[in-house]
Amino acid sequence: MPASSESITLEGDLHARPAGALAVAAGRFTAVVCVTAGARTVDAKSVLGVMGLGATSGQRVTVTADGPDAEEAVAALIAILGDATRVGG
Amino acid sequence: MSQLAPQVGIVLVSHSARLAEGAADLASQVGGGTVTVVAAGGTDDGGLGTSAAKVASALRRADEGAGVLVLPDLGSAVLTVRALLEDLRDASVALVDAPFVEGAVAATVTAAAGADLKSVARAAEEAWHARKF
Repeated sequence: MPASSESITLEGDLHARPAGALAVAAGRFTAVVCVTAGARTVDAKSVLGVMGLGATSGQRVTVTADGPDAEEAVAALIAILGDATRVGG
Repeated sequence: MSQLAPQVGIVLVSHSARLAEGAADLASQVGGGTVTVVAAGGTDDGGLGTSAAKVASALRRADEGAGVLVLPDLGSAVLTVRALLEDLRDASVALVDAPFVEGAVAATVTAAAGADLKSVARAAEEAWHARKF
């Protein structure tokens, strides 16, 4: 199965609504998708897990996916992390 | 996944109308606003307690055809929901034992991604294990 990974530096804190948007998007992919911030890695499809990361502005966050649509999943989630953390909420 | 496909609906049963409405608002917004999250809180005369009539009405409003997940806030709300579900005998309605706020948010987000009733219920149950920090 293809695996894919990409990192982004957050421009804002990862609040509830961006965490929700991330988990909703992740849930639409077949691939297993994980988000890593600092020493913690969580299932990107779990909104509570993503919120529990407590990822903050300036932190480097990595999205990793493994599965048939891994590349698309990583691209979609990186885009959400880029957009949503700028808005806040 | 098309937004036009029916999604699992969520009914939040609380002893407090304001608690149910606030939790529904929060879950709905975190889920991106596509899922039908209906509050069924308080008694028929606006007091603290639960109402079978309010829950029955909420179940109808939340039903898009993909099933409805019901979350109670406290154990005694379970009695009202169970009595109602025994009368309805509807396999497309599931009562789940989960933390109220976290379960509502997790279930709504999972429903928004197009998951089926069983997966949405599991997401709510997994909220027992989610730490805030």
